Amino acid sequence: MEFKVRTYRFNPDTSDKPYYKEYAVQDFPGMTVLNALMKIKSEIDGTLSFRRSCRSAICGSCAMKINGISKLACKTQVNPEITKFGIINVEPLANMPVVRDLIVEQESFFDKIKEIRPYLLGQREDEEHHKFHALKEGEKIIQPVYYKSEFQNLTGNNDTPNCILCECCYSECGGVVGNKNYLGPAALAKLYRYSEDPRDNDRNGSRLVNGSKQGGMWDCVHCQACEEFCPKGISPVKGIVKMHEKAIKNSITFSSGAKHIISIAKSIQETGRLDEVKVAFDTGGITGLINDLPMAFGAGLKGKIPPIRLKLIKDMDDIRLAYKELDLEGK
Amino acid sequence: MLKHDVVIVGAGLAGLRACVELRKKGIDAIIVSKVYPTRSHSGAAQGGVNAALGENDSWESHFFDTVKGSDYLGDQDAIEILTSEAPANILELQRMGVVFNRNDLGGIAQRPFGGQSFPRSCYYADAVGHMMLHGLFDNVLKYKTKILYEYFVTSLVADNGKISGIVAYDIKTGKFEGIAAKAVLFATGGYGQVYSSNTNALINTGDGMAVSLKAGVPLMDMEFVQFHPTTLKSTGILVTEGARGEGAYLLNSLGVRFMSKYAPKAMELAPRDVVARAEQTEINEGRGVDGAILLDVRHLGKERIMERLPQIMQLSIDFEGVNPIYEPIPIRPGMHYSMGGIKTDYNGRTAIEGYYSAGESACVSVHGANRLGGNSLLDTVVFGRRAGIDIAEYLKDAAFTKFDESLIKRDEEIFEKLKKSNGKERYGLLKAELQEEMRANVGVFREEKAMKKAVKKIEELKERAKNIGVDDKSKLFNTDIVEAFEFSNILLIAEVIANGAILRKESRGAHYRNDYPERDDENWLKHTLATLGDNGNIKFDFSEVSITKFKPQPRTY
Repeated sequence: MEFKVRTYRFNPDTSDKPYYKEYAVQDFPGMTVLNALMKIKSEIDGTLSFRRSCRSAICGSCAMKINGISKLACKTQVNPEITKFGIINVEPLANMPVVRDLIVEQESFFDKIKEIRPYLLGQREDEEHHKFHALKEGEKIIQPVYYKSEFQNLTGNNDTPNCILCECCYSECGGVVGNKNYLGPAALAKLYRYSEDPRDNDRNGSRLVNGSKQGGMWDCVHCQACEEFCPKGISPVKGIVKMHEKAIKNSITFSSGAKHIISIAKSIQETGRLDEVKVAFDTGGITGLINDLPMAFGAGLKGKIPPIRLKLIKDMDDIRLAYKELDLEGK
Repeated sequence: MLKHDVVIVGAGLAGLRACVELRKKGIDAIIVSKVYPTRSHSGAAQGGVNAALGENDSWESHFFDTVKGSDYLGDQDAIEILTSEAPANILELQRMGVVFNRNDLGGIAQRPFGGQSFPRSCYYADAVGHMMLHGLFDNVLKYKTKILYEYFVTSLVADNGKISGIVAYDIKTGKFEGIAAKAVLFATGGYGQVYSSNTNALINTGDGMAVSLKAGVPLMDMEFVQFHPTTLKSTGILVTEGARGEGAYLLNSLGVRFMSKYAPKAMELAPRDVVARAEQTEINEGRGVDGAILLDVRHLGKERIMERLPQIMQLSIDFEGVNPIYEPIPIRPGMHYSMGGIKTDYNGRTAIEGYYSAGESACVSVHGANRLGGNSLLDTVVFGRRAGIDIAEYLKDAAFTKFDESLIKRDEEIFEKLKKSNGKERYGLLKAELQEEMRANVGVFREEKAMKKAVKKIEELKERAKNIGVDDKSKLFNTDIVEAFEFSNILLIAEVIANGAILRKESRGAHYRNDYPERDDENWLKHTLATLGDNGNIKFDFSEVSITKFKPQPRTY
C-alpha cells in the first residue's frame, strides 16, 4: 500500500513561513510512523528534520503530533492511522517554540524539571554516614532495610518513575496553554515521585511548599489530558491530586488553590451550598474580590448573581454525616 | 573557545556517573552530548545490574562467573575490581535515589541471569536502565552541571601525548566549536548501527571509538560483538534476558526446549554467546519458525508478567503484534553490545594522558570475549565512578595544553565539503548495504571466505562514500549532515571489526569461526589492539591478558 505523509515544514534559515509538504511512502507490515519518516529522510528528502533515537518507546525523542495527537512516532503504527484518517499528518509538539520542522525547543520544559529539585533532599539518618567501600575477601555488604510497602507508590508499572520526559503530556496540557509559568504535568509527576520517596529527608516539607507556589501544583486545571496522552500509561494528574491532599493535611495552605478548596469544603459543610462570594474572598482576599468585580458585574448583567445570604439546604444532616465519615477516613 | 577543566562526552550511565563524582567535589566538569542526556541509550537497558548481595552469594563467585563468561579473555585484575566494588556501587546508587524492587526481607530484589551461579541481578521491573539513567541525571542536575546537548564531537585534540580538548559541532546552530580541557572522558557508548537487526538506538554509531582511533588511540578486542539471543523478530528490539531469568522457555518449531542439547545444565540461562549460537543453529537447520525462535513466558502467568515484565509485554504488543500472556514471542539473535572498545586501564586511562573512557565505548576489559547479562550496567557505574575519581586526582597537577585550533577549521571544511557535494550516493542506502553485509558475513557464525567478502564490500562502500551528497544545505539543526558523518564512523568501525575477526583464528566467546571451531589458548589468549596506519589501513598489535586467580579451563554450561 502506498500512503501519504503530510509533514509540517519550517526552517527559519531558508524561509520565514511554515508550510506543509506531502510525501508518498510505500508501507511494509508493522511499519511505524518513525519508519515512514526515516524512509522519507533516507530515500526522498534528507532535509526533513526530526529527533529520534531508541525506536522502542523508552528514550522519548520522537514525540510529535500525529494526526493531531501528541504521540511517540516510534510506537505509532501506520496502518490504524491510515484506516482512521486516510493520511499521516505530522506536526511538532505544542506549547514549545518550533526550532525546525518537527523539532521543538525543549529548554523551557527541562528548566521546569530542574525547578522542582528532582533529587533526594538529605538522607535518612542511618544512611547519612554510609561510606563507599570495596569488599575484601570473604566480606559481605550490609544493606539498609526498606520494605516493599515503603516504595508502593514508586514501583508499579504505571507509576511516575517510569516517566521518560517525552513531553507528550506537556504538549497536550490545558494548564500550560494559557499559563507559560505552569510547571506542567511531567515536572509535577517528578515532584510527586520524590515526595513519595521513603529515602527523602525533606525535614521542613519544603518540597510541597515550593510546589504550592504560583505555577505549581495548584495551577493544574484537571483536564486529565496528561493521563490520556501519556505513552507510558502514567497519570501525572493523579499524583497532583494526591499532592493537593498531602499539602492540605500538612497545613501548607498559603496558595490560593489550597484556600479555594478549603473554603469550598467549609462552605458546603456549613450550609450545604457553595457560597461563591465567600469562596472568592477566602481564595483571593479583598484584592481578589476587587479583581473579580468586573466578572461579577458581567455575570450580574446576565442575571447570574449569587445569593448574598445562603439558606441551609434540607438534607444538612446527610451532609454532616458524610463529612464525619470522610473525617474518619482521614481525608 | 570554551574552556573547562573536564569535558565529559556522552551522557549515558558511565558519563553521568563520572560527572556526579566530579561535580560533588566542585570540579568544573561539563557534559557534551549528541542528544539530551535522558535520550541516551543506557535508558533502554531492561533486565538488571549484577552485584553479589544475597546471603549465600559472594563477590568471589561473581568474579569467577564473569571470568568464565568472558571465555578467559577478561582481565582478572579488572574483573576483581568490578565484582568486589559492585555491592557498594549498588548501595551508592540507591542512596542517590535509584529505586530497585524489594525482596520480602527489605533488601534489594534479585533475579537470575545468564551465566551467573546466583540470582544477583538487581532490577526495577524490566526498566532498570531507565531508572538508573534518570536517577543519575537527576543527581547531575542537583550539582548544577553545564550541559551542552545536541553537540556532535568530531575530533580529539592532543599535544605531545597530552589531551588538549575536543572539537564539536553544535547541531542547533551549525557552528564548530573547540572546547579546551585538562581532562576529557569519552563515555560515548557502542556502535550497534554497524549491524542490521540490532537492539541499539539509532544514535549508536561508534562515534567515540572512531574519533579515538583517528586520534591514534588503540581500540581493543573489536572482533568480539555480542549478539543478544532474544530480540523481536521484525524490529530487533530487545527482549530482556530477565524474561528467561523469570523462567521463560526457548522453543523451536517442534515445541522443544532445544537448549537441553547445547547447555544441559544452564538451559535458557546459559551465557548469551552460547544461546545465540544455539538459536542460530536451530534456525539454520530448519527448526525455526519463519526464521525465528519462540520465547514462551505464558506459564509465568498474567500477574507475574505484568509485575515483572510490563515493558516486554507492551513492546511485544506494540512492535510485534503479539501479547505474551497468550502467545509465545518470535525472537532471534540480534547485535547488542560491543565487548571491544577504546583500550583503557581500570581507572579509565587511555594511551593519551588526560584522556579517559568508560562504559561501552571503553574496553577495560572486564567482558573479554563475551559479556554476561547485567554486567554492562555494572561496568558503567563502577568504571564511570573510578574514572571520575582518577580524573579528580589527575587534575591536581594537570594544566591546559596547547590547543591546535587548525583542527576546528579542518573539521569545518569536511562538513562544508560534504554539504557542497552533489554526489549521487545516499548515505542511508549505503548504510543499509553495510549493515546487511556485516550481519550476513561477520555475524554469529564466521569464516574467512565470507569475512573477506565483507572487507571487500567495505572497501567498495568507502569508495562510493566519497560520492555522498546531502540534501540539506542549511545550518540550523541539520541532521542530514550529522547522519552522513556518522556513516563514516560506522564504516570505519566495521572495517576494524571485520579485519580483527579475520585475524583471530580461533573460536572464543562471541567470536565463533566455523573454520577454527576451538579455543586456542596457546596462540590466542591475548587482546588485539587496532590502530590506524599512515596509509589509512588498520594495523594490529597484541597485549597480554591479566590472569590472577583463575587458570583457563574448558567452558561448558
